[in-house]
Amino acid sequence: MIELKQLRKNFGDLKAVDGIELNIPKGQFFVALGPNAAGKTTTIKMICGLIKPTSGHVKVAGFDMDKEPLEARKRMAYVPDFPFLYDKLTPWEFFRFTVELFGMPLEMLETRGMELAERFHLQPYLKKTVESLSHGTRQRVAIVSALLHDPEVFVIDEPMVGLDPQHARIVKDILKERSRAGMTVFLSTHQLSVAEELADRIGIIHRGKLIAEGTVSELQSRMGSEWALEQMFLELTAQEDQAREEESTVSTQS
Amino acid sequence: METETAAGSTPVIEASTGIEKSRHKSPVLLLLRVHVLQSWRRLSAIREQSKLLSGAIMGFMACYLIFSYWLFAKGLGFIEAFPGLGPLLTERLMFLLFAFLFALLLLSNLVIHYTNLFRNRETQFLVPLPIDNNSIFRWKFIESTALASWAFLFLIAPLLAAYGVKSDASLSFYPFVIALIALFIALPAALGGFCAINLARYMDRRAFQMIAVGLAAAGLLSAFFWLKPEAISEDSLETRVLAVLDRLLHKTKFSQFPFLPSYWLASGAQLWIEGAFMSAGFFLMTLLSYSLFFGAIAFTQLGNYFYDAFSASLSRESVFGQWSWFRQWKAKERARKFEYHPSWVERLARLVPGLRPDTRAVVMKDMLMFWRDTAQWGQTLMLFGLLGVYIINLRHFSRQLSNPFWVHLVSYLNLLACSLNLATLTTRFVYPQFSLEGKRIWMVGMAPMGIVKVARVKYWLACSVSLAVTIGLTALSCYMLQLPWQRTLFFISAITIMTFSLNGLAVGLGLLYPNFKEDNPSKIVSGFGGTFCLILSFLYIVGSVACLAYGAPRSGSVSVGESVMRGMLSWGSFAGMSFLIGYLPMRIGFRKLPNMEI
Repeated sequence: MIELKQLRKNFGDLKAVDGIELNIPKGQFFVALGPNAAGKTTTIKMICGLIKPTSGHVKVAGFDMDKEPLEARKRMAYVPDFPFLYDKLTPWEFFRFTVELFGMPLEMLETRGMELAERFHLQPYLKKTVESLSHGTRQRVAIVSALLHDPEVFVIDEPMVGLDPQHARIVKDILKERSRAGMTVFLSTHQLSVAEELADRIGIIHRGKLIAEGTVSELQSRMGSEWALEQMFLELTAQEDQAREEESTVSTQS
Repeated sequence: METETAAGSTPVIEASTGIEKSRHKSPVLLLLRVHVLQSWRRLSAIREQSKLLSGAIMGFMACYLIFSYWLFAKGLGFIEAFPGLGPLLTERLMFLLFAFLFALLLLSNLVIHYTNLFRNRETQFLVPLPIDNNSIFRWKFIESTALASWAFLFLIAPLLAAYGVKSDASLSFYPFVIALIALFIALPAALGGFCAINLARYMDRRAFQMIAVGLAAAGLLSAFFWLKPEAISEDSLETRVLAVLDRLLHKTKFSQFPFLPSYWLASGAQLWIEGAFMSAGFFLMTLLSYSLFFGAIAFTQLGNYFYDAFSASLSRESVFGQWSWFRQWKAKERARKFEYHPSWVERLARLVPGLRPDTRAVVMKDMLMFWRDTAQWGQTLMLFGLLGVYIINLRHFSRQLSNPFWVHLVSYLNLLACSLNLATLTTRFVYPQFSLEGKRIWMVGMAPMGIVKVARVKYWLACSVSLAVTIGLTALSCYMLQLPWQRTLFFISAITIMTFSLNGLAVGLGLLYPNFKEDNPSKIVSGFGGTFCLILSFLYIVGSVACLAYGAPRSGSVSVGESVMRGMLSWGSFAGMSFLIGYLPMRIGFRKLPNMEI
């Protein structure tokens, strides 16, 4: 469902994404972990077609993002860490806009929209303008509108920012349910507990490279011990840093 | 379509229609609907937030339209009255005006298209949605054109009305000229959009940068040499008027270049007034064909170019990334360990005797915030820079300014202009300072110096910075007008008092009407307090300048005693007004501050 082939992105001399190769099959819940400025958001932006790769290819739901972007976008949803919403619209008006934009029957708004709004406890806010809502409520509105068209691929960046524990639980549950029902999820986060709890597969991105990927047990067997994810994450990123440092020392000496 | 359920809590789509479907409505129409709704709610919110603000906006708009209509009508009447040359001068002025407005409109379109296409959160929201690139570009093109052109329409509406009335135009002139303008604005919009896309796409290319800088330099140099003032002798004005006029008009000939869209607009309007309807229609058709041609290209062909440029603009580390000197410098910067070097502002602040470290920290923070906020120093530079350019150019009016009446009048008008500029800046930047500080209360307000002292420091800092500019400009104005030192001292004293008063008013009202919910200073200013501050500043300035002008020394009929009385009365009322406006609100604000709940 999401296929990244030798994906690279350079910003001037900086290699933000450096040859990521990844294949996430239908219905898999993939969590990307990585320190700040590791290249997670840049990878997401390329998956969504916000920026073009310097080289390599992105395929979403079988469609090449470069050649058939519209077909790919119809089948996916993207929720950034600080989603854009129209300030002066109410959440309900925003849902309606999304439904119309995706060419869905308006009845879907009444059924699916209301069901999601209820699940996310958004009823008291449906008639208030977005500008009056808290960050957490806006995040919930963005997630609901992204789920409205029942996407095949769901890409979400730092979904738990600003969410209270109750709504974080709802987001986790709904994403897991949808994933079991066949939706492919690509989630980027700093919260290791989210990855441990939800991921079918975890990828650790560091300095633009996918330095490790697999299930928690696969990562543990790679490390040769039954470490917790946090310990594995710290060890793997430290190893990569050390390798880089040695490499740069060798190149400076030569 | 939305109604409420019986419970009244949640809106639903009316089920009675049953079969209503969205059926893939055009994304542009959907976006248009969303934005119309948003704009309507914004307008309604202004009315609900502050009646004073909406009243002031309506009042200023009405005054602008009436006053500018009157001014244009007077100006056109004055020019028309030149014996034998009136119609020729009017005609040339229209060509010139529209040529410059075309250039301004092009620049405005370039800037607004660039920011709206490539520095806009909505664009980043729309790109990953299933909307084709052409539709996104179409919507952004329509939005940018409206944003870039509304001020142009507002500016020329009274001019064209005055022109029509002065030329006894028939009623048909007005719809005709509206059609001309509607077609005219499409051309700079299409060109501005095209240039913005190319700018975003290629601005990091070295060749592009060199060509752009070369073109800008060539343009500036040619404008400087072509438009520099002509030296005209007293003798030639009396004996060779026509030759002089011909020389001056020759320099404006470029505005009648037949391939300029402004030429088609101005010609169309003038020919219609003269009754040459067929020829006027020809220019309307010319505008129509070009607008359709370039509009169609923009609407159908630029979408994919836009997407390439959008991706390029998000993928750029720096616009200088292709220069080796820049890359080397960046590499050195990355490799260098952090060392703190105090800036020149900080070194300067350290030199001020008796400045306590906590006060210096607040001063430094505010100075750095001002310096790093392009909007703040950009607007300050533009307002006072334009005034400075005008004052420096006063030397070219040597003939008119040899007359004491004009010198006198211009010196007061300069004082007025300088203080009005200052009032704009105090309302825009000083007034919201305290409200913005409220957001950072965890650091500044909890510091041992206390919030009252923070507010005092802000007042003194604002006064010191504004005084440096206002005294400088006033002194320059006096020097250019060759005023004696007594008059220079008079104006410098006046602007000093006004600077303290206007800053005091802004700080005082900022304390009395704080808004701790907003992060955006422009939204803080647009509330009741900000509007009140602007109106009071305006009234104070007009009142002060009128008082000072009343007490100005007069030659001839007035006795010394009467002159002294007038002087005392004018300075007395000026001082009284300054006390009321500058001191009282601040005093009340400072009293309220210790008990304020932030």
